[in-house]
Amino acid sequence: MRRNLLPLVLVAGILYAQASTPLPLVVSIRSERALSGVAGEYITLEAEVVNVGTQPINSVTTYLSLVDVGARMPVDLEDWSAEKGLFIGTITAGETLPLVWKVHLIRSGDYTASVVAEADGADLPVVSRVTYLKALPKRNLNPGNVLPVALGEPILLVFGFLLLRFWRTRKLRPD
Amino acid sequence: MYRFIWLKDLKAAVHTWKGLVWLLVTALIFSAASYLFLTNRELSLLDQTEMLWLLGKVIIGAALLVTVIDASSLITAEFENETIESLLLSPLSLGGLVLGKLLAALTTWLVVYAAAAPYMVVTAAGSRLTGAFLVYVGLFGTLAVLGFTLLVLAVSFFYRSLRNTLTTSLVILLALALPALFSPVLKTSTLARIAGVANPLDSIFAGLDNVLVDYHTGLAANLGFLVPVLVFCVLALGFLMLSVRAFQRRGIAKD
Repeated sequence: MRRNLLPLVLVAGILYAQASTPLPLVVSIRSERALSGVAGEYITLEAEVVNVGTQPINSVTTYLSLVDVGARMPVDLEDWSAEKGLFIGTITAGETLPLVWKVHLIRSGDYTASVVAEADGADLPVVSRVTYLKALPKRNLNPGNVLPVALGEPILLVFGFLLLRFWRTRKLRPD
Repeated sequence: MYRFIWLKDLKAAVHTWKGLVWLLVTALIFSAASYLFLTNRELSLLDQTEMLWLLGKVIIGAALLVTVIDASSLITAEFENETIESLLLSPLSLGGLVLGKLLAALTTWLVVYAAAAPYMVVTAAGSRLTGAFLVYVGLFGTLAVLGFTLLVLAVSFFYRSLRNTLTTSLVILLALALPALFSPVLKTSTLARIAGVANPLDSIFAGLDNVLVDYHTGLAANLGFLVPVLVFCVLALGFLMLSVRAFQRRGIAKD
């Protein structure tokens, strides 16, 4: 009985090992290890993906992963980058493809960015090293500017009404 | 001749300062909103764009309320004051009367927009969206006011009392405004999505979101939001033409 089961166990083991084999891809971030900018600015994150295997790899998708270090939470990239993921398709053996993300620093804080590559049929994704992003706060909001308008316009209107009233009274007054 | 009607209504509006108190109240609403938004120091860059979107909604909402109330009285007041017969006996055509009233209502919107412009400039300072904010609030606001004014003028020909015209117009405005204020979570069903496209206010608010929050400031990127509002204006114009034709058939006498 044990002899009959052995080949089955071996085949299952080989299949599992093949499915769990890492993709022959290397994803690396070419930008500096630490990037910074003021909230509101755009920074460019450059990376590359290399097929170090001997066979082409189909349906490769790469995407950016951003983590808020302070909040210890992943960031929803909706407003941060128009391109959340880049679909590469087929990458031939030995080919190197550049990856560029334009990242809009929306909120101030410390973040880590990494690039992940996945392909159809592969169980394990390939992840790059981490790059540290620092978004410095920017104070766009200036209450000092709004006060003259918030107070000034109603005051101007009241002044205009008084002028209108004065003009009407003068016009109606008999000579 | 439409100019006569237009100027007559404008002169009536500025006849006394009390007739313009609504403008002071509107300016106070804008003052309170922009001051509260800008003095909240916790706001980040993302929040500033959302704040602009909120202010845009406040401006268009206030303008619609003012113009719908104003437009409700423009024609119905002529019935209530029994001045419509004199107007219709004058060389002025019915089309000229409607055009003059429409221009009077659009002038009210222009006054509200002029009052709101300084607040928009100050609130958008530093966001690089000042131009887009001014242009798109102006564009969406003009189309919204045009559509609703045409609709209210059409309704006006069916009633002889200001109370009825005003109540009907405000209920229509409320019916379209309420779903537009629902959160996107409540608009996930197919029916809600169809209703959202058909509702001009939904398109306007979504269009402002597209410009101010998603930074799609090009006209081509906003055609999907402008076209439903344009269709609403065309439909309102068609309804007004039908309403005018029905009035010409029935005459002034009440049903």
